Parts: sequence; structure tokens; C-alpha cells
Amino acid sequence: MLKEGKIGLAEAVSITTLLIITKIFYSSTAVVVKKTGTAAWYMTIISFLTSMLLFTLVYILMKRFPGKNIIEIFQIVLGRFIGKSLGLGFSAFILYYSAMSLREFLELLKAYVLPYTPPSLIFASFICVTILLAYLGFEVIARVSYISIYPVLIGLGILLILASTYYKVDNIKPFFGYGLNTTMYNGVMRSSAYAEVMLLAVAMNTLKDTKTFKKAGYISLVFGGAFFSICLLLYVMAFSYTIGSENLSGMFQLSRIIYLSRFVQRVESLFLFIWVISSVVTVSISFYMSMATYCKVFDIPSQKPLVYVFGILLFTLAILPKNLSEVIEIHMIVIRQYSGIWVFGGPIIVLLISLLLRKKGGSIKDEKI
Amino acid sequence: MRKSRLLICLLLFSSLVLSGCNDLIEIDEMIYPLIIGVDIGVENKVRMTLQYPTYKGVTGGAIGGGGEGGGGGGEISKTGELEGTVITTIEASTLLEGVNLLNIAVSRRISLTHTKMLVFSEEFARKGVGEYLAPMMRYRETRRIMHVVVCRGKAEDFIKTNKSTIGASATKSMELMVTQSENSGLFSKETFIDFYHDILSPSQNAITAYAGVNDFNNLSQDEPPDNPPLNEYYNFVPGEVPRKGAAQREFLGTAVFKTDKMVGYLNAHETRYLMMITGKLKRALVSLEDVNKPGYAIVVDKRIGRKPVIKGYFEDGIPVINIKLNMEGDLGAIQSRINYDSMERIEELNRMIEERIKKGVERTIKKVQKEFKSDIFDFGYKFAGYFDTIQEWEEYDWHKHFPEAKINVEVEFNVRRTGVMYGSSPILDSDYEE
Amino acid sequence: MQKKSSIHNLFSLISYKEKKEINDFYIPEINEEDKHVQNNSKQSSIKSETTNLSVDADDNNISTIMQANIEYLFKKFNYPVNKDFVMREFLVAGKYKAFIAYIDGMVDRVTINNFILRPLLNFTNLPDMGNDSQLDFLLKNVLETNQAEKVTKPADIVYGILSGNTCLYVDGCSYYLSCETKGFEKRGVETPQTEGLVRGPQEAFNENLRTNVTLIRRLIKDTNLTTEFVKVGKRTNVQCAVVYINGIINPAIVQEVKRRLTGISADLVMGDGMLEQFIEDSSYTVVPTILSTERPDRTASHLLEGRIAIIVDGTPFALIAPVTLHSFMHTPEETFFKWPVGSLIRLIRIFAVFVAALLPALYIGMVGYHTEMIPTDLMIAIISAKENVPFPTVLEVLLMELSFELIREAGVRIPGLIGNTLGIIGALILGQAAVQANIVSPVLIIIVAVTGLGNFAIPNFSVAFAVRIIRFAFIFGAALLGFYGIGLVLVAVIALLSNMKSFGVPFLSITAPKTSTSGDLIFKKPVWKQEKRPDNINPLDVRRQPNISRKWAQEDAESEERKNIDDGRRDEDA
Repeated sequence: MLKEGKIGLAEAVSITTLLIITKIFYSSTAVVVKKTGTAAWYMTIISFLTSMLLFTLVYILMKRFPGKNIIEIFQIVLGRFIGKSLGLGFSAFILYYSAMSLREFLELLKAYVLPYTPPSLIFASFICVTILLAYLGFEVIARVSYISIYPVLIGLGILLILASTYYKVDNIKPFFGYGLNTTMYNGVMRSSAYAEVMLLAVAMNTLKDTKTFKKAGYISLVFGGAFFSICLLLYVMAFSYTIGSENLSGMFQLSRIIYLSRFVQRVESLFLFIWVISSVVTVSISFYMSMATYCKVFDIPSQKPLVYVFGILLFTLAILPKNLSEVIEIHMIVIRQYSGIWVFGGPIIVLLISLLLRKKGGSIKDEKI
Repeated sequence: MRKSRLLICLLLFSSLVLSGCNDLIEIDEMIYPLIIGVDIGVENKVRMTLQYPTYKGVTGGAIGGGGEGGGGGGEISKTGELEGTVITTIEASTLLEGVNLLNIAVSRRISLTHTKMLVFSEEFARKGVGEYLAPMMRYRETRRIMHVVVCRGKAEDFIKTNKSTIGASATKSMELMVTQSENSGLFSKETFIDFYHDILSPSQNAITAYAGVNDFNNLSQDEPPDNPPLNEYYNFVPGEVPRKGAAQREFLGTAVFKTDKMVGYLNAHETRYLMMITGKLKRALVSLEDVNKPGYAIVVDKRIGRKPVIKGYFEDGIPVINIKLNMEGDLGAIQSRINYDSMERIEELNRMIEERIKKGVERTIKKVQKEFKSDIFDFGYKFAGYFDTIQEWEEYDWHKHFPEAKINVEVEFNVRRTGVMYGSSPILDSDYEE
Repeated sequence: MQKKSSIHNLFSLISYKEKKEINDFYIPEINEEDKHVQNNSKQSSIKSETTNLSVDADDNNISTIMQANIEYLFKKFNYPVNKDFVMREFLVAGKYKAFIAYIDGMVDRVTINNFILRPLLNFTNLPDMGNDSQLDFLLKNVLETNQAEKVTKPADIVYGILSGNTCLYVDGCSYYLSCETKGFEKRGVETPQTEGLVRGPQEAFNENLRTNVTLIRRLIKDTNLTTEFVKVGKRTNVQCAVVYINGIINPAIVQEVKRRLTGISADLVMGDGMLEQFIEDSSYTVVPTILSTERPDRTASHLLEGRIAIIVDGTPFALIAPVTLHSFMHTPEETFFKWPVGSLIRLIRIFAVFVAALLPALYIGMVGYHTEMIPTDLMIAIISAKENVPFPTVLEVLLMELSFELIREAGVRIPGLIGNTLGIIGALILGQAAVQANIVSPVLIIIVAVTGLGNFAIPNFSVAFAVRIIRFAFIFGAALLGFYGIGLVLVAVIALLSNMKSFGVPFLSITAPKTSTSGDLIFKKPVWKQEKRPDNINPLDVRRQPNISRKWAQEDAESEERKNIDDGRRDEDA
């Protein structure tokens, strides 16, 4: 078994919350506004409700197998071969997620801050820190994310307050965006934006019990939902749907227009800190989770030997997309719009099968007999 | 074993170091244009003018851009030096290319991160600015919060007169100059991001500040008449204000855009009404002619009491707009010495001012509806809520329907305080007569 | 063959070798305690004393013949080459051969003359009752020193002599008497040198172990305050006092500390600084994981929170473990002031840490990468001043930082108190001259000066040093990648910090992993509201004081209530 240590509720919540809310720094905001216009702020509430529902289903599955992580449950319910391959698929997807987050971060960083630095350098320095975090293990990652969620939230709060001179309530009219159907459709699809909460199911062993799993999941979902809704609302209020959909990174652009006085203006570079910190931690978490899933599939006792190999994989994957358009229009759509089908769908199908076969509790060892 | 590991680490580390610092540009290896002027080009699309500070200030901490290095005494030298700044002009196909082209003569890299102002000449603005804004919007360095100005005449001439007459810093003078809009309400101020936003918006149109260069020849040389008229409407265009001294460039009024083309301007007086409706008026000192004693002025320091309440609705398919202005102010002077500040007469004064404001607002809106057909008052937003979706709203095309909108104006004015006097005693002399 | 091994070596570079599982020490929760205590009792089984008589004197046996013992001691102490060793032979009660041995300078001569030699020589009627009991008799009736004990192991008596005791031997006995006669020169209790306070006790530890333990005991008059002694160092044989409060501290900590202390097999262990390095959890970090303090009151307050103190003989410092980063940021000052003042002081200190670590890096990042965030006027001022400076900013910063460090180091080494003053004056003159010579820009002088100030405001010297080192990492990151680089280094530093442990306690615990606080982390609660001990060290007794620690406040409230009721009654009566 992979030695991961134990984390508390606060750390678990901060891990998933950080994973969920980091998207706000990326192209996500503008894409949502482009798709749903002025309805963006409640579209995300629809996504949030959908993901709550899906998460509840996953929770029911987890409850049937107390103390087991999702990879073990796959193996118990589907048998070793299918279970392991499903687990492997999960691992691959999380690595892909991690790599694309890294790539998107790079694109924005290059666009806004470091236009002439070679991408490989940015990747290399970033991955060095990621590897360090993953090497030190899950407990350390949890602690770092718990510590860093404070500056991230406080910094964003300050940013949103400083930009308040631009908020115009009239900008959220017409209220229904591009029509209710579009909103609903996007809302349901975009529940993938909350799919990060499923990482808790992978890290089930580090949690105290299934109840903590439920609590951590719900708290971070509610928090993420409220957070997104507020951010999108304020964003549309500041930019309106027209130029709101043009920006590469909505929140970063918002920080660039801050003007309070001759001395308090353009605080974007300070904002860069929370952006970098949250991105590093997010990529590290998903990077570690990918390895942890891999370890759990093949019963590897430590993630440490995998770190460098996976680091190189991460680098390779991240450097694959040709250009920004490909990142945003293919990979980000896959991750933020369609990944939910797979991430939530897999476990839910497993739940159905386990209900049909009446499988409950037990362990892999029982299965062997 | 250990040594080779160390070696590998060292190699990786050095590769990191050697490939880094690509974006590190020493702060003094760049110049920072403060203002960009755009004119119509002759041989190419645009002619752009940049003004950037020099670093010739005394070393050891003194503020840079001191007057010493500039071309002698406020005149522009051959190399474009003007009081601690340099002004250069170049023709190019686009603005960004122009910035790049300047590298042939300017010894340091040009960074637009500190640009405070973007100036279009009126001629250029009337042809449409949209295509030139796009690159500025896309470029990462440009400040979204720089101010956009349309000037009468050439932007190049405008920039040539842009110097600080008070302090040494041209930057400070520019930044403070723009905030003067809040102190007087005589001209609008519009940041680049708002300007761009308004151009794209389906619910409103864009404005910018309106500026010009005063050659100080406007003060009439005629003998003053016996009894000069009280002209409460400040109906001048920038560059033609009768004054002398201070800086040559002056800001007055508002340039009105429809889509990305300038269609006209509002004078200072109308600009104040515009700012009243949009709720931006911080302070405006106005002289009104006393109805009861013509020829005498009442000076009122006006400001917005409560945010203006604007409601829009459809009546038989025609948009109707109800504007409720709540203004307040302090008395500056009552030249006629009528005791308007007493309890009985203060309402009379209030009514008088209300009527003026109402008339002014109505006239301004009429003018904009008729002449410019451009909704610079942000009325469109009040109707956007009546449409469910963005598609319907865009299909309705507010810009087409704005001119036919009905406007109802309601003004409430309250004189709150009367300065440091309460009541004024009459001048008792039988010779004294108005 | 050679080739194969080189290939093998090459592969071994990139192949993974399973590391041995290291048993991490952790502090068990209180309910896990029972098991540990049982283990404990098993280990400490009392060894039976050796009672066999022998003729030869060696490391294990004490001879019953005096001459053999004398020779043994001579050999041990390298007599007569070693002039420190003094041995005096005499006759007890005029008939029994005996000797005393001690090291000159370590003992108090008056005590030996008046209270050991004089009674022994003047004493006449010693009853004849067998060798062993004779010495017993002397011990009970004749010797006038306050501490005297039988020693049956040669190693112990050697150690006794080394530490200033006087050894008494009477011919025919199989053991020595060790009389307490320590009397070496020592410093008095003085004011703290590095941890001075405005308000609070002004005494510090000194080099004497007994004095130090006494200073603590004077503050905590509790029967549960326990002092254990452990000898450390093969040759230096330094005495270490392990001080803790039984019933508060988690026994696992005591056991672990003793295990680590006894496990040191080194020649030389001098002072707390070396001992710290021998027993700390992670050696490859810049931040210390054991708190070193020279204040008895601070030690006492840590003991009362459930920590352990290790005091090494010969150094005026106590080592306190396990500690977290927060402890390093505290001083007793905050406790002595009211809580808003205390909280403010701590906030300033945290700000100081950030300034000391980040300011030069932020300056480099701002000037090199993020010029847009500098107000334009300020920026033009900076540039104008920098116009004639030939160095790039990074080099300028490094130049100034290095010269600042140089001045600081020189200031410490210059003898006398003028050292510091001289250093600061030197810095000013150097800075001023450097600016005028166009070697650095004036803004940078301010930056470096403020950084230095921030560094001095960090209360713990070791942490201040660590911050100085980390600062250079930040400078490197900023020079390479701007604020992005600083962000990366920041995350790495946080990760490494949260990976560290101090005697099984995560170094950032209370914050991460989150445990309940004692109301004394950054913002202080009023003293009467700090009801619990910090949870992260799992003390046996979590509660420091009851929920209502100010009984009088309750009484006030009750009497007020009673009064109201009485008034009410009176009203009703009326």
C-alpha cells in the first residue's frame, strides 16, 4: 500500500477547493462568458448543483465500501483486470489534466508576463517545484495547499474589492444570456469544472472516514460554487459580456485595470503571486494524484521512484499542443466540459453494477478467493 | 557516484541559469512614452507621436526629467527635446509597428507600460478608430487605464504643447490634469478600457475628453463695452477659450462617438449635464443669471445628491425614459443680495435652479438624439432588461431606436448650505442702483 | 570487467534503489499512551550491583588494597605529568590509611580543609567494625559535607573527580566516597545578552548547570518538575540536564530525547549548539528545529506547555523541544504586555520576516520584470539615479547585500561594544560613498537597509540566519524569472518547511496540519482566555486553566445578580 499519511478535514477541503477555484485565473472565465453571456453567474450554479448530485451518487458508492479508495472499489466491483485498467485510465486522465493546467498556465504567463522566456525554462522550473512537492508526499502537499489557500482567497478578495469602481449592475442585463437552453446545457456540461472533487475519492485512505469524505466534498463544492458565481457576476458587471469574452485571463485582466489613485494602480504583478502559488499547488496535487492512482493500481509502496519519470511525462504532455488556440479550444473544453462524463460517469456506472451485483464492503483479498 | 550526481545537478542548474533572464530588461534600458498621439498619415496609414521622459536629471536621487536637459526654455529643440521629455513622430501602418520602427533612432527599447494618454486628432477620430484600437487592446504592455482624448487640430501639435508648467514632472501634471474633470465637470474623462467597452457595447456609445491647443490669441483686443453681458453658457470649443498663460493645451467638452467614429462634440456646459445624467459629476461651480434681477449672477456649487434614478419602459413600442435627478449644492454668491438663503425664499431659489437644470438636460439630450443619434447617456441598459436573451436585444438594435426615445426629466435641487454667510445685508445708498 | 562496472555505475545513477524504511518518531495521542508506558518499564530494569571483592583495581573493580587504587587513579589521570590531579594520603583517626583525590581548581579548598580533612584527622575513637562499615560510619558521623555518597564503580568516581568532587578512600574498602566539593569559578546570574526585554525578568542562564536548573526550579515550584542527568560525549563527558514536568509532558517525548542523547557516540560534544546538531531531526535544513534560549522564564513557560528542556553544562542556554516555527517568532515580551500590544508586536515581527526574506527579490523583480507596477514618477526617479550606475540591478543588489553581510560579520568580530556602532557607521559611509561614486543607486541603499532592519527584528538569531540564506534563493529566483520565480521559490520553501519535523511534531503544525491553538499563535488572547495547552505536542494534561480562571469575575457577576434579585424583591415588597 502507498504510504500517504493522514490529513484532516481542513486540509482535505483546502486541497479540493484550491483545485476547483484555480480555474478562475485561467481562460475559464472568458470562455464561460462567451458561451453563456450574462447568464454566466447562475450557469455555474447549475453546474454546481449538477456536480452536487453526481458527488452524492459517488458518495453512496463510497459508503458501500467503507475505508476503500475508488481504485480498490473498481477492482472489487469490476474484477481485477477491468478495475485496474479503469484505474489506469484515471491515472492517465489526471496526468493529462495536470499537464494541460500547466500548459494553460504557461500560455497565460507568456502572454501577460514573460513573453520572451523560452517555454521549456518555465516548464522546467515549474516542474522542479512540482516534483519536489510530489516527492515530499501527500501530507506536505495538503499542508502547503492549506497554507496557500489563505493568501489566494484574501488576494482575490482584495482584487475584487479594488476593482469595484468598475462594477455596473446594468451590465448583467439581459438576464437570460443566450437563452435558457444554452445556459442549462452549458451548466450541466460545465459540472466538469467541479470534477476535481473526485480526487478525494482517490485519496480516500488519507481521510478519517467516509463521513469526512462527504463533508470535505460538499464543503468544497459549496465553496467553489459560491466563489465562481460571485467572481463571474463581478466579472460580467465589470466588463459586460462583450469584451468579457475577449480576455484571455479574465481575472488577470481585471487586476490590470485597477485604478484607485495615482499610487494604487495596476497591482497585477502582486496578483501574479497568488496566481503562481495556486497554479503550482494545483498542478502538484494533480501530478501527485496521478502517481498515487498509478501506485494504487499496481500496489507500489512509494511514489518516490515514479516522480522523475512522471515529471518527464508531464513535461512531454504539456509541450505537445501546438498553440494557444488548440489548448483553449480542444484541451480545455475536454477538461472543463467533457471530463465530467468520464470522471463522474465511471464511478456512477460502478455504483450501478455494484447495486445490481449486490456487492458491498469486503476487500480485494476477499475477491481473490 | 555522489560527484557525478552533483555534476548532473550542476549542469541542469547552469542550463537553467544560462537560459533564464530572457525577460529581464534593466529598468534604465527602456524608455516609457507617456502619451501617444495619432494623426492621419500622409505616406502611410498613421502618423504617431510619442513623448517620453529623459533621464538627464541630476544623479543622487533628484527627480528626473528636470528642465536642465531639455531644449532651452520651453521651446522644442531640433531633436524633439522639451523640458525633460523627448517628442518624436513617425509614420507607420499600425501603431505597434510605429513603436517598433522608432527603434531605428531611439537608443532604448520602447515600453508602453506607462502610457498615460492616447490622443486622436479629430480628423482621425471622425474616420473611425476601431481598427487602430484592436492592436492596442491586444498588446500586453498597453495600459488599459490610460485616458483617451480627441483633440482639435493635430495630435502632434497637442503633444508639442504638453509640458508641465508647475512642477518638473510631466507625468504628474498629466495625471492630475485628467482628474481636473472631477473638480469642474467641464470635460469628460474616459479610460481606454471604458472607451473600448463602450464602442463594442450594444447598449451605449462612447465618449472621450475633447481637447485643443490654445494659441493665446483669443482674448479680444476690443475696448470692453459699458455693460458686458452675463454669459452663463460657456460655449467654447477647446483651443478658442479667451485666456492667456498656463499650459497651451486645454481640455473642454466631450467628443461624441457613434460606433468607432466621432460624430460631434458637446461643449463644457452640455458636458456637465451629461455627467449629471451619468452620475459622474463630482463638483461644478456654476453662475446662473438671477431671474429676479437680470444681469446679476448667483453662484452655486453643484453636485449630485443621490445617484440619478433612470427608468426605462416601453409605451406602445416606443422607449420612454424617466430621469430623476437629485442634486444639491452650496451657495457661492448672490450678487443681487436678495436673501435667497432665508427659509421663505430658499425654495424659490431651488425651483429656479431646478428649472435651469431641467431645461439644460432636456436640451442636451435632444441635441444628442437629433444630431448625433448616439446614446452616450447609457440609457440602453435600462431597456436591456426587457429582453430575455442577448440575441433578442442585439436584434432590437438599441442604437437605431435611441433617437426616437421619449425623455421625461424630473429634477430636484436643494441648496444645503450657504457658504460662510447667512443672509446678506443690502447696500444702503441712494446712488446705488442696478 | 572495468567496463561493466562503469555501465553498472551509470545505471545505478538513474535506477531507483529501495530505501530502508525509517521509523519516523511521532508523538502518540494520549489514549495510545498505555502501551508506551509499558514498554518503558520493561527497558529500565535495574541492574544488580556488583559486590564481588577483588584485589586488582581496573575499570570494573575497586581494589581493597589502597596502593592498587592509587595506582589506578594515577594511571587514569596521567599523574604525575598531569599537574591538576592532587592526591593526599593521610591516616584516619591516626591509624587507618586513606587518601583523598581531587582536581585542583575544580574544588573548593575551604570545604576540603575544614569539612573533610579536619574531621577525619581530628577524629579519634573509630569503632572497629569491618572495612565496609567503617566507611559507612565515616559517612554517617564524621564527614561534614552536604553531599557524600558511596561509589562502587571506578568509572563513576573518575567522573566525580572530573566534575569537581573529592574522592575519599579508606584502605580495605571496596568503594569510594564521593564528597561534593565543587568550587570552580563561575559567572553570576546576569541579564540576557541576546534576548533582552523591556518588561519582564532580567536574568539569564549562566554556565553552571546547577544554577540553571535552580533558576527554572525557582520559577516552577512544583513537585512534578523533574530533572534527569545524562552524560554526553565520550571524552568531554558533558553533563546534560533533561528537565520536564511529569504529568504534563507526553512521556514519549522524554523517552525519545533520552534515547537520542544516550545514542550519541561522539568524542566532543560542547555546548548546546553542538548537541542540537546531534539530536535534531533534519540536519539538511537551514531553519533550526530546536529552540535555544537563555531565559529561565521562557524555558519555564515552555515546560509548562508540555515541552522538554535540555540544559548542557557549560553553556548559558537551554534547548527546548519539540517546537514549531511559531515558537521562534515569540518572545516573552508579548505575554508581559496586554494582548493587543502583544499581537501587534507579533504582526510586526511577521512583517519583518517577509521584508527580510523578500524585499531585495521584490525590488529586482519589480525593476527587471514588472516595471508597470512602479508609479511612473518614482520609476523615473529610480532610473535617473541609476542612469550612471554601470552594473545591472542584480549585481548591484548582490554587491550591497554582500557588503552589508561583511559589515555585520566584521561588527561582531570587532572587540568591544563599539563594534556594532562602528559597523553601522561604516555602512552609512560606505552607502553614501557608493552612491556618490555611482556604484549603486540610492534606492537600493534604502532597500538593503530596510532588509537589514527586518532581519534584526527577527527574535531568534538562528532563524534570522536562516532568513538571510533564504533571501539569496529569492534573489536568484527573482533574477531568473521575476515574480514568477519568487512565487516558485516561495512554494518550495513552504513545502520544505512543512516537511520538517521537530521531535515528531510537524514544523508548521497548528497552522498546517491544523490543530487547536492555545490562543497564543499570532494574535494573542488575553492571558485568562488561554485555557489549553498547544495540542500538537499531545500533552497529558490539555487544560491549562479552567474555563473560568478569574474566579473573582464570576463572583462579581453572581453578586450583581444577587443584588438585582434583592432589589427586585425589595421592589415587590414596596
